[in-house]
Amino acid sequence: MKLSLEAYENIVGPSVIQQLCRLGEKLKDTRVVHINSTREGGGVAEILMWMVPLMQDIGIDTCWEVIKGNTEFFTITKSIHNGLQGEPVVIKKKDWDTYFEINAQNFQELKEILTEADIVVIHDPQPAPLLSLCPERKGKWIWRAHIDISHPFRPVWKALKPFVEKFDASIFSMNQFAQPLPHDQFLVAPSIDPLSDKNIELTPLELESVRAEYDLDLQRPLLVQISRFDRFKDPIGVIQAYRLVRKIIPAQLVLAGGGASDDPEGKEVMEEVLEAAENDPDIHILLLPPNAHRTINALQRLADIIIQKSTKEGFGLTVTEGLWKGKPVIGGDVGGIQRQVIDNHTGFLVNTPEGAAHWIRFLLHHPGRMKEMGKTAQEFVRENFLLTRHLREYLTLILFLLRKGKTHTILV
Amino acid sequence: MNEFEVKDCVLLTRMSGLPPALNLRELRDRIAMCHPDVIYHHFCETTLAPSFDYPDYRNHFAVWAKHSLGDEILAERLGIIDPYAYSSTEDLRTATLEIIEERLSELSMVPWARAGHEFYFMKAITVVFDTGERIHHPDELDSAISRMTSGSIYFHVLEARRRPPIGLDDFSAWLQNFEGDWSQYIHAITSIDVTFYTLPELQKNLVKALKLIQGKKRKRP
Repeated sequence: MKLSLEAYENIVGPSVIQQLCRLGEKLKDTRVVHINSTREGGGVAEILMWMVPLMQDIGIDTCWEVIKGNTEFFTITKSIHNGLQGEPVVIKKKDWDTYFEINAQNFQELKEILTEADIVVIHDPQPAPLLSLCPERKGKWIWRAHIDISHPFRPVWKALKPFVEKFDASIFSMNQFAQPLPHDQFLVAPSIDPLSDKNIELTPLELESVRAEYDLDLQRPLLVQISRFDRFKDPIGVIQAYRLVRKIIPAQLVLAGGGASDDPEGKEVMEEVLEAAENDPDIHILLLPPNAHRTINALQRLADIIIQKSTKEGFGLTVTEGLWKGKPVIGGDVGGIQRQVIDNHTGFLVNTPEGAAHWIRFLLHHPGRMKEMGKTAQEFVRENFLLTRHLREYLTLILFLLRKGKTHTILV
Repeated sequence: MNEFEVKDCVLLTRMSGLPPALNLRELRDRIAMCHPDVIYHHFCETTLAPSFDYPDYRNHFAVWAKHSLGDEILAERLGIIDPYAYSSTEDLRTATLEIIEERLSELSMVPWARAGHEFYFMKAITVVFDTGERIHHPDELDSAISRMTSGSIYFHVLEARRRPPIGLDDFSAWLQNFEGDWSQYIHAITSIDVTFYTLPELQKNLVKALKLIQGKKRKRP
């Protein structure tokens, strides 16, 4: 995919583009490799989909590699993922051995590129052992944790930490997620691409076609939660909140999400959600293909209120997407959602289905306030959570590491 | 004659490496031992953070004392600290510790924050960009400032005070060395109380103050 920074100038302004070009000049021909575990589905893949071509556009020699694994591997890494988010999971020694072994197999394929790279960015825990497999590495290695590891299940973190602590730096989305590690830890919030299919403006015709396809009633309020079918996203809690709203207001609910190739739990959770919905015709449960970006975009734009009632959340890019579309968001009071949903300004933070129902009803009774919050929300995202800020922070961090930075100021 | 080089800046935030503070005593201990950049970050770089409302206080320590420790007395005492009134970060650290020590001596129990409301010690790397823009004469200053980003205002007015000449903003430092008498301009700029303004407000006030002087100059026979 070819992307150009120039295309973003109308959205973020010329000074932001100028900063990125300056950083690009300083990093020209630097070899950067991003490694994660899925090409599509989930926030990390979405970020890399724009970050890699934009880094290339400003002259950085960037590539994106995906590690391969079988179902057993991804079941183990999903358990590691859940354990890091605090779930008391059991991961046996043989599972850790499999985790390492699959990484070793991947390393054989990636050896040359990883050894020669100036910068390697390892996203999340799945490919973390690659560093210890690459003793002849020449560049700096960064571990990027996209998930909430503020209170990890200790045995999981204890087993993973030896892989992570050898990195030259790590990046977390929020300060609460950082762990004691013997290297520099940076804080970089994720972001969205305003020109991607997921976020670009849609025509009324396209909106209408999605509305008709899913049989949504234009006359009644629409609540939408977009997320993987994952227990930490609390889809059952959303249904409970919807039922409390329905006692008063004839709202409709859409729970939509795609599966990801590194998430084998999705099917099981989806079944639980279908059971909880009890065939209510106003609850639309949609399992969308990974490339249904425009459909998700349309559903968010058709919504009156976006919900993201997670009980654990790394950052919550679906919140950012909802805010960018000028919608107030009712979000779980956890993780990165706290940085985006500012009570009474961009939405409301909640802890229970009751709390969610309360603020949904409040907003539906105050359409003027809802509109005002939507405007604030969009500007908030423009200032803080668009890809240009995200890219700038990565480039700065790379420059800092390559210059073996010790001072608090970098001149560009 | 020297031109004024307009710079822009952004921050890259990082962890200080210190464990978070759960109570006032831990806050004191960590402030006593942290890197000066940590003190600077929590007192001065707060201005660059996005905010919807006017924050209760401009430094993170005072905000934490109020909202997480529930100690409004301490918050008020910390909140009035003007970080730019100290000639060095070490002096600022000493003054902050003095207030915390005094408060600890007044309390029979050490105040604690609820779980999840710990104080995280951070610092930042300042990335400075040359915008390529140049100001050739002091009379261009007001229009040039009106076009600047918040990062430029922060860098030239607030961050400037930690660089030589210590305690002075870049505009005044430039005017001091510019041929002619620009003392009225310098007075107008340095008279602005930077503590309570957001960066866009500070920018508006700088432009307004400079325009006022230029208007008076034009009216003179």
